[in-house]
Amino acid sequence: MIEVLLICILALCLYTVESKDLLFGTIALSAISLLSALLFYLLKAPDVAITEAAVGAGVSTVVYVWAIKATERKDIS
Amino acid sequence: MLDAMQWFLLACAIGALLRLLAGPSAADRLVALNVLSGIVLAFLALRGVRQERAIYLDVALVYDIFGFLGLLAIARFLKDKAMADGEED
Repeated sequence: MIEVLLICILALCLYTVESKDLLFGTIALSAISLLSALLFYLLKAPDVAITEAAVGAGVSTVVYVWAIKATERKDIS
Repeated sequence: MLDAMQWFLLACAIGALLRLLAGPSAADRLVALNVLSGIVLAFLALRGVRQERAIYLDVALVYDIFGFLGLLAIARFLKDKAMADGEED
């Protein structure tokens, strides 16, 4: 189960780096922090998973969307 | 039974993940992320019941609060974007 999660996180990371639209990258990044919280949880570290869920999935997504709103959304390729 | 349920939820999560990677519009990806967070929440609660540890349920609680905040920010950004496009037309 851990191997499947790691493969999913790797696919999402590659997509985040390669995506030309910044909002799509932010959505993928939010999914990465969700799955890594699940990974910490499966590795029996629920306190780390709580921190990752609070900071990674919640606050960092809000900050990234805020930054995109203040600048241009489309990435210049 | 609960172990088989965990594998089933993982298969459902991979289905939602494919839509997140392939979805043509931003709204598709947002809905896929919402479905994925619902599936992961069910997985966390199921695992907490399986291990019989109450602290494992706290992770599901905290993710439910803060994940909603992130989804709300993206949805509001899409709404502002759609309204700005509507004014230009």
